[in-house]
This record gives sequence, C-alpha cells and structure tokens, in this order.
Amino acid sequence: MTDMTTPLIETKDLRKNFNDLEVLKGISEKIYKGEVVCIIGPSGGGKSTFLRCLNMLEEPTGGEVYFEGEKLDPKSTNIDLHRQKIGMVFQQFNVFPHLTVLQNITLAPTLEKKMPEAEAKEMALKLLEQVGLLDKANEYPRKLSGGQKQRLAIVRAMAMEPDVMLFDEPTSALDPEMVKGVLEVIRKLADSGMTCVIVTHEMGFAKEVSDRVLFIDDGMIIEKGTPEELFDNPQNERTREFLSQVL
Amino acid sequence: MGPSILDVFIQYWPLFLKGTLGTLRYAFIAVGLGSILGTFVAFMHLSKNKILSSIASVYANILRGTPLLVQMYIAYFFIPIVLPILNSVDKEVFVLIALILNSSAYVSEIIRGGINSVDSGQSEAARSLGMSASHTMTKIILPQAIKNILPALANEYIAMIKETSMAGTFMLYELMYTRTILANKYLSWQPLFIIAGIYLLLTMVLTTLVKKLEERFSVSD
Repeated sequence: MTDMTTPLIETKDLRKNFNDLEVLKGISEKIYKGEVVCIIGPSGGGKSTFLRCLNMLEEPTGGEVYFEGEKLDPKSTNIDLHRQKIGMVFQQFNVFPHLTVLQNITLAPTLEKKMPEAEAKEMALKLLEQVGLLDKANEYPRKLSGGQKQRLAIVRAMAMEPDVMLFDEPTSALDPEMVKGVLEVIRKLADSGMTCVIVTHEMGFAKEVSDRVLFIDDGMIIEKGTPEELFDNPQNERTREFLSQVL
Repeated sequence: MGPSILDVFIQYWPLFLKGTLGTLRYAFIAVGLGSILGTFVAFMHLSKNKILSSIASVYANILRGTPLLVQMYIAYFFIPIVLPILNSVDKEVFVLIALILNSSAYVSEIIRGGINSVDSGQSEAARSLGMSASHTMTKIILPQAIKNILPALANEYIAMIKETSMAGTFMLYELMYTRTILANKYLSWQPLFIIAGIYLLLTMVLTTLVKKLEERFSVSD
C-alpha cells in the first residue's frame, strides 16, 4: 500500500558535479512510503550517484533532498539520525571483515540506538534465520560466499529498522548462481511493505518487483512509469534503445 | 693494532651493555612519544579542514626532508637561545625532542597510510547505518588499519635504533657513545666492530619478530 500524502523522500532539482563532470543535471522526484522503485539505465548515467545522494553519502552540488519532510544537510550531526532510517546496500557488500556475522548486525544498533546487547543479539539471530545464515552467526565474513555477504549486508541494514532501503546494484558483483538468493531476499522485503529504491541491471526483477520504474540517463530522468508502461511501451527513443540492448 | 676485538669486549662489556640499553631506551622514547604526537599529526593531515591538513603536511615534509643530524643540532643549539628559561634543563632533552619530532613525522605517515589503506566502502557502510564519524573511526576503520600500522611502527622502531647513533655526538649515553669513551683509552677501531655487531644483532632479531607479527596479522584476515 502506498501512502500518497507526503513523500518519504523528495528531491528537488538535485544536481551533482564531479569537478567538471555534470553527473546529475537536476532531478526532481518523489518516493512514497511503501513504494518499490527501480532505477534502470546505462552505466555512467547517474543512477548510483542519484541513489547515493538520497542519504548524503554523496554531497549534492545543488538542489535539495527531503526525507520525511526534513531537508537533509550532510554537515549537520542530525544526518546520522536520518541515515539510521535510510538503510543502504552496496554493490561490493562492504561487510565489516573484522567483526563476526553477528557483530556486523549488532554493532550499529547497540552503539547508535543504545539497544541492549541481549536484545540486539536476539533480533540479529532472527534476521539471520530469515536469510538462512543462522549457522554462520559466529563466523567471520571471510568464510561467506558473495551471496551470503550480501544477505548479511541486507540484514545489517534492516537491524536499524529503517523506513526505506536503498540498493545500489546489489547483485552486480555476484556470481550468477548467487543472484537469485539475494533477489529473493529483496523481493520478500518489498512484499512486506518496505519502501525500496533499487538501482539494478536485473530487468526481469525490476519488472516483477517494482511499483514504478525510473529510467535515468545523462543525469536526468528520461522516462518513468509503471513497469508495464516502461518496459512494454516505452515512449522515449533513448529508453527504447537502452531496453533493446539489455532485454 | 692493539688488543683484539674480543679482548676489548671482555674487558669493557658493561660499557657496551649500558650503551645498548641507552640505545633501546632512546629509540623507545622517540617512537613512543613520537607515536602519540604522530597520531595527532596524522588526524590533522586527514582532516577536511584545509589549513590543519596543510600544516600537518608541511610539518611532515620538513622533518622527513631534512637530515636528523641537522635537526638535532638545531634543537641542541637553537632551543636554549629562543627559550632561555630552559637553560637549566639537561641538554639531553633537546636532542631527545629532535628524535621525537623526527619520529612523529614518520609515524604520522604510517598512521595516515594505514587508515587510507582501509577500503572507503567500509566507512560508507558505517556512515550509511547512521554511525557517527567518531564511531566509524574507532569501531570500523582503526581496528582494520591497525594490522598495517603495527608492523610499520615496529619497523620505525628498528630504524630509530640506528638513527639514535647520532645522539652520541651530543654526549647522550647510547651505543655509539661507547666509542667516544673508549677512544680516550686509545682503542680506535675495536669498539666500532663491536658496536656494528650489536646494531646488526638488534635489528636482525627485531626484524624477525616483526615478520612473525605480520604473519600473525595476515592469518587473522
């Protein structure tokens, strides 16, 4: 169910330059609670940068990002509180290699939300069970496969009980046989009502799971719509060209 | 030729022992206090504040780009001139200050390098979870950086053991200073070989220990 009253995330004329390179050229978009939005488009088109601006990992050069009605300011200490509600999953997993699987999950909630150790552990074990990693709880991440690392990264973010999850090409660094398991976890999450913004090259998955799809290229949203509209009946020439290359 | 190396060693070994302990002690003080100072310099260097970062960079460049012996001379002669209040202080201290400052410059680069060697994805992941900058540093970055930092610090200590030989020039009782003492007894060459042998023994033993340390760290990865 999507709540159409106030957007969970809103960007206004979002711009990002890397030196002389204009990566985002003014993106205004609203994402509502409960929505599953997939972002597709060619590499270098700005989709990952757009996603990384939503939690200020990338500091925008211009424009604004509003989260739950509040303007995000990367220099404010408040940003940490906002980020606790914006989970993120990375292409390269970025699990913490010096911590056990369990500690990977419990560290942030105990440190930043002052959750009691025992409670955090209980929650972590529940999450691990949901993604089939319960038996790995006391292992170090080096013992995990890529797919297992990514599932760990997903539940690590979930442990902060975020209001939205951002996925930055979550399956791009995986061996093909690992992709399905990770997508399954994301699909379950989306089905449970979690707001998800997913940058992906998995077109079949995007078509199945999304409420809306954004096609980003050249730093702009070229076209957006329901998966049926975008995949089955694309209006823009560049969308058609991109889809013909990847489908 | 005079007496043999062995004769000299047997007769004067307490002097060499005292010198060796002096060397180990000065190197330890230099790297120990240099590490504390160097940590501050490293964090200044890594700071987003351009002024702080430039100061740290200039500091490290000057101390690494000029000979330690020159730094010792400057500390020995110049500090008492600009700070006459320190005239009553043992001059040994000024030479030690030069050693500490010199070491801090190298240590700051070791720490900076160790921190930079941790993949930026680690800090991004921590910050994306809402972890504060300081928690990200203490709980995520430093525990991973330490594996690179500790062996490099141990190597800095080994290098410093050799560097302290210059402190004997300023009458600090370290290994090289035993040469000055024994030269007064007309022993010109024998002490040098004993001293060289002791330095070699110290650095070889410590280098082996550092290798062991590095192996242990790489196993736990």
